[in-house]
Amino acid sequence: MSRRDLPVLLAVGLVLALCGLWQPWDPVAIDLAGVHAAPSLAHWLGTDHLGRDVLSRLMQGAGHTAVVLATVGALSYGIGTSAGVLAASLGGLSEALILRAAEFLVVMPGLVLALTVTALFGLNPVSAGIALGVAGAGPYALVAHGLARRLLAMPFARAAEALGAGRARIAFVHVLPNCAQTMRAYLASDAGRNVVHYAALSFLGLGADTSSADWGAMLYEYRAFIFDHAALMLWPGLAITATALALNLLIEPAADEAGRPDGYVTAPARLRTAPWTGARRRPG
Amino acid sequence: MTAILARNLAMLALTSVLAFATLRAMPGDPAEIALAAWNTQATPEAIAALHRQWGLDANPVEQYLRWLGRFLSGDWGQSFRTGRPILVEMLDRAPLSAALGFGGTALAFVLAVPLGFFAARRPGGIADHLGRWVNVLSQSMPSFWLALILLWTLGVKLQLLKPFSGETGTRLVLPILLLGFYSLGSLARVYRTELLAQMREPHFMTARAKGLGVTRALWSHGHAAALYATIAALVPEFGWVIGGTAVSEVVFALPGISQFLVQSIGARDYFVLQAYVVLVAAWMLVVRVGVDLALRRLEPRLP
Repeated sequence: MSRRDLPVLLAVGLVLALCGLWQPWDPVAIDLAGVHAAPSLAHWLGTDHLGRDVLSRLMQGAGHTAVVLATVGALSYGIGTSAGVLAASLGGLSEALILRAAEFLVVMPGLVLALTVTALFGLNPVSAGIALGVAGAGPYALVAHGLARRLLAMPFARAAEALGAGRARIAFVHVLPNCAQTMRAYLASDAGRNVVHYAALSFLGLGADTSSADWGAMLYEYRAFIFDHAALMLWPGLAITATALALNLLIEPAADEAGRPDGYVTAPARLRTAPWTGARRRPG
Repeated sequence: MTAILARNLAMLALTSVLAFATLRAMPGDPAEIALAAWNTQATPEAIAALHRQWGLDANPVEQYLRWLGRFLSGDWGQSFRTGRPILVEMLDRAPLSAALGFGGTALAFVLAVPLGFFAARRPGGIADHLGRWVNVLSQSMPSFWLALILLWTLGVKLQLLKPFSGETGTRLVLPILLLGFYSLGSLARVYRTELLAQMREPHFMTARAKGLGVTRALWSHGHAAALYATIAALVPEFGWVIGGTAVSEVVFALPGISQFLVQSIGARDYFVLQAYVVLVAAWMLVVRVGVDLALRRLEPRLP
């Protein structure tokens, strides 16, 4: 991964979070005297059909997006990496079961899983983040497993085994640190997608608290004004697209686009280079 | 082939157990939810009666086996929201979802081959840049927003179509174009990457050495192999046929399977969800086997 990937992710997350912490107006304050106001110095992007400040609502939505990004990232990365490494070091039936579960998560449309969870437990940034994070852990687990298997066969892991190191020690000391870089690249390149997924989830809005401002929910609400106040649905979409575009363009994609003939998951290009030696390997 | 089938069947069985167990572990008694949806008093007698009717009073293993038997014989239970059999509901909506999914994927595939070909023919050229931007934009722009923008431009500004109304056939055009756009980016990239990989292979050098131009050599000696990878990459795209088009169906108000699913999830229609999970797993099995057969025709050396 390129060296700037994580800083870019952190910087975008920080901007979003700061937007969430402070807004010029109360994003839920209704002002029926000033509905559909045109952009002015007081309301830079105007107000919506209830007289709420559109910019403040966008900024609150940004804060929610930051929470989702952090939760999804932590969960898919944490669960996926540990499940993958665990599967590779345990082997046998446990390995098969973990891999089948990961494949199940890959096969099921993640949005449907996340919709179900948020419909049951209510939709807020944290619950959506948990749902999307668990639903998205499948690919991480498969990648981490492939990586860990290869690492376990490397001379240094075999040497540690010959020296009498237990499976847990090998997994934690020799495998996990070597996986981490590739998995972080995967994590960073996933961020743009997560922004769009959360927007879709709040657009469908099952179990959502309708007063909270989310970019997707705003689009759903404002699409009714397509005939007379179309500018309202421009802003939330621009916010989603700009955020996702920034993340997708600035962060180098970890996964190479080549689908493997037998695979469910596209093999990350980085798995073909050996990150710990820097040497190029032929695709396996 | 047999191995793939056996593996996928095992996966299917596991999925059905998972679907069954997970939905039972979820909070809320389906009988109480149904009674609330019908605005009926949830008396203990009514709950017990529904439990008996739906076979929820037996022990879990027996429940699972009974449900599996009925599922295989085509009795998927009833949706309490609509009161109709789930299988009928799904079949009614399947043509629309299938038209969307297959139409979009087919469109993307047909466009991905020329786009990917010219991108690989001249890396850094117009087609390459176009492909890269289609890919990045389709990953960054939410489809429902693009749909709304298109509806606004074509429907409100240019008055070319009426948003949210009109005949089903004409209403399908825009969603299919959109879905095609969203699959095009990644498919064209796969095809391009594989073609570029082919250009480094010895057989390509041989074709060049015997005097073929780059375009000709790529088409006759690289295309088939690159097509192979592209077809393999179709598997996840097809996965979206059921349930993956939810957002498009909601935006365009199309009554497909996905929209039904979203409504059912909203109403916590428990049995619909259970049937759906198994249906997706079964559908993926069909897709995998189908793709495997297609690949076998392209590559007869496969074991």
